[in-house]
Amino acid sequence: MIQIEGLSFRYPGAKHDVIRELSLRIRQGSLFGLLGPNGSGKTTLISILTGLLPLLSGKISIDGKTLPGQLQDIQAGSALVPQEYAFYPRLSIMENLLFFGGVLAIPAYELRGRLTAALAVAGLESFESVRAEHLSGGLKRRLNLAIGLLNRPQLLFLDEPTVGIDPQSRHFILEAVKRINARGTTVVYTTHYMEEAEMLCDEIGVLDDGRLLACGTQEQLLNNTHSRELMVTLTTAPTVQQSGILNTIPGLEIINRELRMAHCTEADLKHLMKLLAAERLDICRLKYGYRNLEELFLQMTGRQLRN
Amino acid sequence: MPLFALVTKEWKLLLRDWHALLLLFAMPAVFILVMSLALQNKFAEQQGVNIHYYLVNKDGSPASEALVKRLSAIKDFKILSSDASASELIDQVRDDRAQFMVRIPPGFGKAMQNTEPLPVQMLAGPGVEPAMYMLFEAALRAALVRVYLQYALAPLKTQVSDITSAGHTGLNLDATDKLLHAQSLYQVDGRSRRPSSVQQNVPAWLVFAMFFIAIPLSTTWVQERQQGTYARLRSMGLSAKDLLLGKLLPYLGINLLQVGLMLVVGILVVPWFGGQRLTLGHAPLALTLMALALSFASVAYALLIANLVSTGEQATIFTGVANLLMAAVGGIMVPRFLMPPVMQTLSQFSPMAWGLEGFLDVFLRQGGLEAVAPQALRLFGFGLACLALAGLRLAKQRGKA
Repeated sequence: MIQIEGLSFRYPGAKHDVIRELSLRIRQGSLFGLLGPNGSGKTTLISILTGLLPLLSGKISIDGKTLPGQLQDIQAGSALVPQEYAFYPRLSIMENLLFFGGVLAIPAYELRGRLTAALAVAGLESFESVRAEHLSGGLKRRLNLAIGLLNRPQLLFLDEPTVGIDPQSRHFILEAVKRINARGTTVVYTTHYMEEAEMLCDEIGVLDDGRLLACGTQEQLLNNTHSRELMVTLTTAPTVQQSGILNTIPGLEIINRELRMAHCTEADLKHLMKLLAAERLDICRLKYGYRNLEELFLQMTGRQLRN
Repeated sequence: MPLFALVTKEWKLLLRDWHALLLLFAMPAVFILVMSLALQNKFAEQQGVNIHYYLVNKDGSPASEALVKRLSAIKDFKILSSDASASELIDQVRDDRAQFMVRIPPGFGKAMQNTEPLPVQMLAGPGVEPAMYMLFEAALRAALVRVYLQYALAPLKTQVSDITSAGHTGLNLDATDKLLHAQSLYQVDGRSRRPSSVQQNVPAWLVFAMFFIAIPLSTTWVQERQQGTYARLRSMGLSAKDLLLGKLLPYLGINLLQVGLMLVVGILVVPWFGGQRLTLGHAPLALTLMALALSFASVAYALLIANLVSTGEQATIFTGVANLLMAAVGGIMVPRFLMPPVMQTLSQFSPMAWGLEGFLDVFLRQGGLEAVAPQALRLFGFGLACLALAGLRLAKQRGKA
């Protein structure tokens, strides 16, 4: 389990903290999605957890081991897959894996097995002799992932592992991450793609401006908003008289043929259906339910552009 | 194990990078070859100093004829013949088409008998270097003094012979040639020789070229940092020491190979192109120690630069300018003895000067281990200081990852 308490971090020379009094728990075996706009502090948080940045204030323990004293033990059991293609383009896939295996000091008798397993998970068996510089974007992402699996980590940090690749490669990587997690590896997954987080993650934390805005399962997060949204498109726009009748429902907005309710209970929905039937207004399209993660994310973090 | 992996990786990467190989090996080899041949043409003792000048004799006396004869006998200076007028010849010299013009005025021989002799006029072109000016002036003065002794003091010769013992004139002018015995302390096989320009210049340009390893090393380092590879390696538990050693060892090997290659060029390739052969001296251990010390210093310096810059462009520009400054101060471009005292003091702090002095000890002064030890120690000290600073910088960068 990762336990973070009161974590703050400021880069040397900066005026403001990038992480502010952040407390968070990530349970063992979880596939935790860390969401946040650019500059929200996701990569900084991962860098602190992996020992790339120093722990300046607050407490962090990972599986009972604390930072910074037990950094080496933590690093031995974890792996980081950075956002960049963090390998050597002029080396082949196998040479890259052998190099990183050497850096990790994997014993010779285990190395072959580890390489085979990493190649299999990433689906790279038939490309092992190809130089990394000649690989497609998808294969490069898969090599990036494979290197992260060499030390059989109990905790895997994936920093936007599907950026810039085609849907097939993305699907492959997401399935691989699911399998890795299913074997018991805790995965901390940062992404901008909300549908990935919805599909993969059992728990989600929303980070913005260095603060944790929300954390929990998807259901908890979506239910916490207490809102089911209603959107109705009519075949014809209601008359002024009909609009007056519909407006008796509190919170209903009418814009031409569109009817919208940000917070709509089941009773409101039933009442609206009755009124539409009575007024003989036909429905062209109807959408009712919880907001999706993207809506929730935008609601929490705001819609203004980030740097 | 991690170190072995790091070193092996570095070698594999280099062997697959033709641009880096060219920069690391072909460029220094070509550089040494070109510099040796270019300087050979300028200074080589067999080919002469190559000074061209006009000699105008407006006096027909035996004294002026004797002066012309003496000047014509100097092999290093070539007299140009021309039918042009004196003013046209002056224009030629002003345009640097000839370096000097020497004009013997009418009445030169006759005036020699007087108390006020008529001076010979020496005009130098604007492009003549000060050293060349002094050299030509000294040669002209020497010839003039000989002629003066011969003709102005001729009447004394008879008088002196009257008061000296029989058969002994006391004014044997040919004896002046025997007043000086010049010899170089440079020796080859125990015999005194004048060192060739190759012998004097290869060490300087060898030192200069060795420090350029900072460019490929620092650009590779910057690339790895930008690609996120270093972040990954550090997240795998590699320390700053591992990362520095992982670069230091392979590049130390490359730098030593560069030294070997450049020496081979001096020994084998330069003679093929008509230059003089480089000789390695008689102290292989001292040469090895100097090569090791200089390689260590230059690679450690490269690692420091790699950790100071943020981009490949910065690395290239910084290394180029810093190396030129070190070379200028260190006596690579201008010999230290020609520098003013302040610059000579300053040059004692240039690692290139330490390397150069050490190599000159081996190549020219027959120095052994004892002679090069102080320079080698300075270079090792400089290298250690650079490594320590690079390590500190690397540790500090951890706070900015």
